[in-house]
Amino acid sequence: MDDLTGTETTRTPGLRDWLVARIAEHLRMSPADVAADVPLSTYGLDSVYALTVAADIEDRLGVTVDPTVLWDNPTVDALCRAVDEAVAGAAAR
Amino acid sequence: MTTAHVTAAAPAPASLPARLDALAAVLGDADDPANPLGDRAVLDADERGEMLTAGEEALHAFGLNAEFVPAYLGGRLTRLDHLVDVMRAVYRRDPCLGLGYGASSFIAGVNVWTAGDDTQRRAAAALLGAGGRIAVAYHELAHGNDMTRTEFTALPAGGRLLLDGRKEVITNVRRADALVLFARTSTAPGSRSHSQLYAEKTDLAADRTAYLPRYRTTGMRGVQLGGVRFDACPLPAGSVLGAPGRGLETALRSFQITRTTLVSMSAGIVDSALETTLRHVRARRLYGRTAADLPHVRSVVTGVFSDLLAADCFATVGTRALHLLPAETAIHAQAVKFFVSQALLDAMNRLSGVLGAAFYLREGPAARFQKLLRDIQPVGFGHAARAACQVSLLPQLPLLARRAWREGHAAPSALFAPGEELPPLDFGALALSAAGRESLGTSLAAGLAAMPDGQGPAYRLLRRYGEHFVRELTRLGEDCAALDPAELSVTASPYAYDLTSRYVGVLVAASCFETWRRARHSGTPFLSDPHWAAAALYRLSTPRGAPPRTLPAPLEDALWERLSERHRTGGGYLLLPRSPHHHPVGTPGRQQ
Repeated sequence: MDDLTGTETTRTPGLRDWLVARIAEHLRMSPADVAADVPLSTYGLDSVYALTVAADIEDRLGVTVDPTVLWDNPTVDALCRAVDEAVAGAAAR
Repeated sequence: MTTAHVTAAAPAPASLPARLDALAAVLGDADDPANPLGDRAVLDADERGEMLTAGEEALHAFGLNAEFVPAYLGGRLTRLDHLVDVMRAVYRRDPCLGLGYGASSFIAGVNVWTAGDDTQRRAAAALLGAGGRIAVAYHELAHGNDMTRTEFTALPAGGRLLLDGRKEVITNVRRADALVLFARTSTAPGSRSHSQLYAEKTDLAADRTAYLPRYRTTGMRGVQLGGVRFDACPLPAGSVLGAPGRGLETALRSFQITRTTLVSMSAGIVDSALETTLRHVRARRLYGRTAADLPHVRSVVTGVFSDLLAADCFATVGTRALHLLPAETAIHAQAVKFFVSQALLDAMNRLSGVLGAAFYLREGPAARFQKLLRDIQPVGFGHAARAACQVSLLPQLPLLARRAWREGHAAPSALFAPGEELPPLDFGALALSAAGRESLGTSLAAGLAAMPDGQGPAYRLLRRYGEHFVRELTRLGEDCAALDPAELSVTASPYAYDLTSRYVGVLVAASCFETWRRARHSGTPFLSDPHWAAAALYRLSTPRGAPPRTLPAPLEDALWERLSERHRTGGGYLLLPRSPHHHPVGTPGRQQ
């Protein structure tokens, strides 16, 4: 039930829903319309805004991610994988 | 195709005063009608829509291009504030020379210094050192500042890249010796599909390259704006600056330098225009006195001086931040470009009101004003539109509220020490995003808390309006924390855009207050006097949309006196007075 739109689960509870809700709110879309495998720039997510998503992730999850995490992982699926890895990496330290 | 020039001069001296002296000497007296680089010649070239050839030759003899090249590559660039000082001298004489000879090659160069490899850097440095030009080709008319929509492609084909598409409204594109091109190097959507390319013209097949007709403009008439179209033009794969796909990142880093410094250079235009205006109002007799004796004229001109000092103070802090706080300048650069450009445009418009009919004349003693008024216009839209800067600041606001404004760090005191030493510039240290961490805005509260004791109306006003802007930042924190995430992009409401203006107002206030406080501590003449800083904060506190508030008499009187002194001594009207002989005629020897 963690996943509203995607097919993969995340290790971080609620991560996918939170990310999708956040991006949907910014884009004035319904979360249900944000496909997990479509580059978010297709929906009009601009590159400068995308840089600030990294800070939101950091403040919510307490992990450090690169500002360009969304540039390098431009879909919901890819972003969830990258953030999961960052969380797992932080936990392992 | 290096342009024929006069022979290169001996290497110019390294210190800033010596470079300014050498530049003043080659430019000569602006008022001398026989000077081939004087105002008369500048205006004649403008009427013809041509660059001033004698001016370009003189700048070549001075070695202006070396100012754009880092010292480790054989140039003179060590400090951006020094570069700005040199370029202001050029802009004061002729903005077309500033942009058309200088600044466009500088923008291109900064891309290369930021992302290029050693071979590319050395090639660009050598080309500039020989007096060549590099055009910077980002712009496509269909997309404006929306760089990710770039259509121009450089896609891999058989071990090379093939250039396809158009670049439009590009300074010097036809006569440049090399180009920095912003191109799509992948067809995938997103922010990793673009790259800068460095291409010397000798590497471009002439039968695959076509130049578009020149674009004629209202201002900067001499600047050669053109376009180029490539049709499957091959380019070596090694022409990409940095790793392919990193172009947006390179742009966002290097533009921090160029947006800040270019708008700061343009302050030289208003400096020049204020001089023209003062000469006019002191000579013009109306109602049995000079126009300068009319209280309204005095009030407007003093207000312009105050606004110019505030704008220059902010630009100077922003320039120093590139050396001192490179993790934060992704914010400062947008704020400086946004604020200073409008301050300069407003100042010019107010001065035109003072000149009356004289600002409209293309001949006579005030003739250069109408050219300066036209030439300054691109400051508001060239190399990023003001609204694009606001859009870039918008998504930072909730982060700032959550991070910087809660943490409340103060910036280092060196940030507020115009003209003083700076650490080396590190192109690689400029952060792509400040991620809501910025210490200039919160420096004001710390500065007020440490405000030294003082007496008099200027001191009291400075404290009162300092407190006003500290409260403003608190209110902003509440407003920005509550901002709807849907309001953080181009579709934002006017209310959200206005939040960026309010935030930038706090940054300017902090710059002026802290620069005064630091000067007071170190006893720096002029800057340690509270009148200019109090006047800056007073004018800044004008409600948005209202005409700027007339200064209270004690501030206006004191600033008018300073302004008159600057006029007498030829010290110019920017934050740091310059030595008189850097004003129109060159004579050797001075301190900074």
